[in-house]
Amino acid sequence: MKKLFWRRKKKNNDNRDKRLEDLLQKSKDFRSVSYKNPKTQISFTLSFIETLVDEKILHESALPKLLEEKFHRIEEVKDILPLSEVEITNDKDQIEQKLLNGSVLLTIDGDKETYCIFSAQKEIVRNVTLPEVEFSVLGPKEAFVESLKHNLNLIRRRLPMKELITEKLTVGNLSQTCVAILYIEGIVDMENVNTVRQRIKEIEFDEISDNSYILQMISDNSHSLFPQLLDSERPDRVAATLTEGKVAILVDGSPHALIAPTTLVECFSSFEDYLLNWTMASFIRLIRLFAISFSVLATPLYVATISYHYELIPEDLLGTLVASRGAIPFPPILEALFLELTIELLREAGARLPTKVGQTIGIVGGIVIGTASVEAGLTSNVLLIIIALAALASFTTPVYRIGNTIRLIRFPILIFAELWGLLGIFICLCFLMAHLLRLTSLGRPYLEPLYPPRQYDLRDSILRLPFTALYRRPQYLRPKRPMRFNERDLKKKKDIDE
Amino acid sequence: MKIHIPENKKISPFLVLFLIHANQIGVGVLGFQRPISKEAGYDGWISILIIAVAIHIIMWLILKMCSTVDGDIMSVHEFVFGKWISKILGIFVILYLCLTIVAILRSYIEIIQVWMFPSLQTFWFSLVFFILILYLVTGGFRVITGAAFFSVIIPVYILFIFLLVLPYADFTNLLPIFDHSFTDLLKGAYTMTYAFAGFEAILFFYPFIKEPIKAKKWAHMGLLLTVAIHLYLALIAFAYFPREQLQKNIWPTITMWKIVQMPFVERFEYIGIANWCLIILPNICIPLWASGRIAKQIFGIRQKTSVAVLALFCLAAVSLFSTRTSIQKYVSFAGTAGFYFNFVYVPILFIAVLIARRVKKNGPSS
Repeated sequence: MKKLFWRRKKKNNDNRDKRLEDLLQKSKDFRSVSYKNPKTQISFTLSFIETLVDEKILHESALPKLLEEKFHRIEEVKDILPLSEVEITNDKDQIEQKLLNGSVLLTIDGDKETYCIFSAQKEIVRNVTLPEVEFSVLGPKEAFVESLKHNLNLIRRRLPMKELITEKLTVGNLSQTCVAILYIEGIVDMENVNTVRQRIKEIEFDEISDNSYILQMISDNSHSLFPQLLDSERPDRVAATLTEGKVAILVDGSPHALIAPTTLVECFSSFEDYLLNWTMASFIRLIRLFAISFSVLATPLYVATISYHYELIPEDLLGTLVASRGAIPFPPILEALFLELTIELLREAGARLPTKVGQTIGIVGGIVIGTASVEAGLTSNVLLIIIALAALASFTTPVYRIGNTIRLIRFPILIFAELWGLLGIFICLCFLMAHLLRLTSLGRPYLEPLYPPRQYDLRDSILRLPFTALYRRPQYLRPKRPMRFNERDLKKKKDIDE
Repeated sequence: MKIHIPENKKISPFLVLFLIHANQIGVGVLGFQRPISKEAGYDGWISILIIAVAIHIIMWLILKMCSTVDGDIMSVHEFVFGKWISKILGIFVILYLCLTIVAILRSYIEIIQVWMFPSLQTFWFSLVFFILILYLVTGGFRVITGAAFFSVIIPVYILFIFLLVLPYADFTNLLPIFDHSFTDLLKGAYTMTYAFAGFEAILFFYPFIKEPIKAKKWAHMGLLLTVAIHLYLALIAFAYFPREQLQKNIWPTITMWKIVQMPFVERFEYIGIANWCLIILPNICIPLWASGRIAKQIFGIRQKTSVAVLALFCLAAVSLFSTRTSIQKYVSFAGTAGFYFNFVYVPILFIAVLIARRVKKNGPSS
């Protein structure tokens, strides 16, 4: 009975082996080549997927050794091959996976049970290029690429420390995508790491193409418009946030890293803020804050005041408005929606076209459609100015995803402004506030440091104070080592004439 | 009936300031100057000081009670009256809270209807408003505290707007000081009880404070802030309006905004009234949350259900009132109820707690 069982199991194994081979035989890029070692007269077979394997490694490093050195048994191959990843195994699962990742399978005729598998992966990686989404005038100019190895290299080079831990997980039933979780042990709150690991493990999907998939799947509230994890294409930014005590997630095949947890305020800060003098950086952050509120509120305020509260506008200004709107046949809301939609069309068309054509379309579309609609008497000059400025202002957001959010949240506010005027705008803003208050990122409040108010974190939020004031790591991350440096170590400021 | 509240649902002690202050400032602050000057003339500011002392005493009583039983009003009731009577009293507390919710929301809608949109439909506006409230309340107490925090921080700019009234103000209006009898001043103070009501909220959320001992200071600071704002608004209104004219304005605070003129904004009252929806947000959130919690404790239902049912009930009640006189009557009834709850019931409860504590202490030893 026992014997029978064993035989059946073996048969199963054989079947499976056969199935793998059969399936692979169907693919035209699967190769199985036999050689004979002239010294020991042992013939061996190399099986590999041609398109995944670097021919250079195979022909220049592996084959010469295999043909020139003496070996009788498969175990001896390990000593001959001058490659770092050589394994002797009979685990079929492992073999299958490695074969599909660009390894070469070596079998010796007569020994069907053990296999030698060595890695000869071909990597097609584009060069490290300039960051495009988070471009900065100053500072490092490298951006992540699509290879996880290279991206890890870019980060490790900036943080040469043993505490930087990279954990690897595989997600996606079909794609078997490799995901790395990075953190600095001793600084990070392990609760955050555990949450991230747990959530990534729970992902059930067939193919993970990009980190955006992961972002949407592990967000606290996946229905929210607001990004609850930050994505960055800058290794310098990722390294800096790791030292703050955050967790970074890198996905193989994706040129962006995810940073968690994050806050709303962080979505409005760019890495360049840290490269500039703190007064300048704070000024830029304030400008951005103004730009974002302008971009969200300008058109709704226009609609609300023109439709309901024209008394709100002083007489002189009202004259200008009336003059520009006098001949417009539409109510303000239609006028505003028409122009807002035009801008959205231009943005979308610009984004889908090659860079140069896109720019041209933007300029031509903006100027021609705008002027023409004013001249045709469809929209007023003032609204055209407001909408153009609002669109311009919305481009000041340093994080692409939050820029998209701002694009969309204008519309409900606009509709409420038409419904109830200023009151509608305030009600809508209250909804927004309620939503933001409820949001969390890995369970940490999203509006921090505004609410719950934390005075140390406020130093690097709406303003960015000098580095000497930032002696604490962000408190909402609950870092194990809360101090960046001891503030008492700072050199004492000199008195006059000392 | 000791209910454990997880540590991450609790709030820092200093946020109590915002909760107390936000729950006190509501619709009352828009029109408290007229009734107070009707009774106490332009010595009304002395009445504010009198009532300030009174609410500080009541706050002290409340904090003492809560720390004695280490719990909210339901624990106090149970401590004094036992399980069954506490449940019946709990129902009365729920009714009182719903009364205030309806009074606040209806008078706010009335202000909108008078000043901004005469045609605003009470039902639709309150429906949207209650959806907003439910969205906040279902987020839990920390979210409500956040709303209270922002409703104090964001409208701070409005306080500075009143400075623009000063060029038109005449502070000699306040003279002569002390030309009213003490009874008049007390009567004036009584009219203020409606505007100052809301600090009793700490009876409901006391177990949600991380270190309740530290919160005492902040609760009193919240009261002080409210008193300071009322005093500031009262003095400016007294200086701005001649006595007879003040009697003709139901909402002197709003009327003062009308004089404000900036290069790009005239008629500031539109912005002010619209912004006020943020200010009355915690006024409704906190009582609704509290009544939902009490209902949960009494009937053993989920708080999500109880809050939704109570919100529907309040929505129906708000839509019932249509005329100025009925609203006026209702609001003054709510004011009286608030007075009796805060200044009569709370002291009685306090004495009862003292007696119950004495009895329980002596009980096991004898």
